[in-house]
Amino acid sequence: MREYIFKFRFVFLLLLLLTSTKISAQNFKFLIPDEAIVQYAGSIGYFSGGVGYELFGNKRGNLDLLYGFVPGSKGGVLNIATAKFGYRPWSIKVKDWGKFYPFNPAIFATYTFHKDLSFKFPSGQYAHDYYYWSEALRPHLAFSSEIELDAKKLLKNIGIRAIGLYIEANTNDFYLINYFQNTSALTVTDIFQLGIGMRVKF
Amino acid sequence: MRIFLLFLLCAALASCNHFEFSPNQSFDRLSLKDVNATNLKKLGTGENDDTVSFVLTGDTQKSRDETVKFCKAVNAIKGIDFVVLAGDITEFGVLKEMLWISRTLEDLNPPYVAVIGNHDETARGKEAFLHMFGELDYSFVYGGIKFIGHNTNSREYNFNGQVPNIPWLKNELKPSPGVTGYVAISHVPVNSEDFDGKLIKDYTSTFAETPGFLASLHAHTHNYKLFYPDNSGIPYVITSAMANNEFLVVQIVNNKISFERVYF
Repeated sequence: MREYIFKFRFVFLLLLLLTSTKISAQNFKFLIPDEAIVQYAGSIGYFSGGVGYELFGNKRGNLDLLYGFVPGSKGGVLNIATAKFGYRPWSIKVKDWGKFYPFNPAIFATYTFHKDLSFKFPSGQYAHDYYYWSEALRPHLAFSSEIELDAKKLLKNIGIRAIGLYIEANTNDFYLINYFQNTSALTVTDIFQLGIGMRVKF
Repeated sequence: MRIFLLFLLCAALASCNHFEFSPNQSFDRLSLKDVNATNLKKLGTGENDDTVSFVLTGDTQKSRDETVKFCKAVNAIKGIDFVVLAGDITEFGVLKEMLWISRTLEDLNPPYVAVIGNHDETARGKEAFLHMFGELDYSFVYGGIKFIGHNTNSREYNFNGQVPNIPWLKNELKPSPGVTGYVAISHVPVNSEDFDGKLIKDYTSTFAETPGFLASLHAHTHNYKLFYPDNSGIPYVITSAMANNEFLVVQIVNNKISFERVYF
């Protein structure tokens, strides 16, 4: 795991050095992510992976950048880029080995790469307001619960600070529009889709 | 706290089918397959049915609440053989919208078939439709009448001259034993700007030249209209959108077609 982290940081630093030979890489330390994330489902891929940054002084905010993939056998092939901003307003201490974040709202945007999905419907083919949405870019609203295990307590010195396990329910603009116009035929559970994931915090 | 955790666990377990990989999935573990073919098998051939009655509706799009009422209204009418959904099943062309609408339509007593609409071809809707409902151009015979469901969403193909597929239509309209009449069903009508202007003449004359051609049925414009684009006397009928709480009952007796607007 430590080797993996080193590699991760190495790639990042290399990138920085390549792009800014004059400025010391030390100035860009904030670009080094605080977390590695893997997620199953959750509308951003069959599996997805990426990095997370803890935000604000209290570290309750999170910016996650993820890449997800849906293979053809699961209804793809789709490549999905996700940027997610979340906040953990409540934290509950669980004994001495962890924390529980019961209800964490988040917003995220996904961009799906596929030949049939365009950012904007071609203006030559359609009048200005013929279709009013973007096929590829999707805004989402999400809520998650996370349990954070203190790795220093549970696992000895392997370079990990904590491990967070979360379950997340998300919806998007398409589903919300469908829901609000049809509140008797659709339920909230219809429009919210689940994902589970793990954050390795180092 | 414990109750909350328990609730969370229950919610997660109760919704195991809620693990979505993307709204743009063309199918998922639980999505339906070949709805049209399955329902046509249920319908049968209607060999001894001398009164063919069916319901024409379309543009369900975002009108799920209305679709619930629609099912009740259709079930209350006696003698309906089948229901045709003439396109725009979805607004955004996503799988979930197709699944939600078919969940509601399962309450219908008569079987239903769907024809693709322009909204269903946005995003990956075409692939989802192909997987869930079946071919975009297809036909079936019931009570001696051949019904030809086909794709007329020309704008989605940037008016490439191949939609609607006229050679395919001509082939489907060839005389065949046991068929006395023909009814064409598609989403976009010829009087719409979304229909390929280059093909209008060929399309209408293909129908006009077919002996026993009864009517061309459509949706798309959301408002009922009966019109005659040429002097062949063939009626072209547009059904109201689901949102307008109206559908069309079509009846064919002795190769004579009649239409009745029904409000619900």
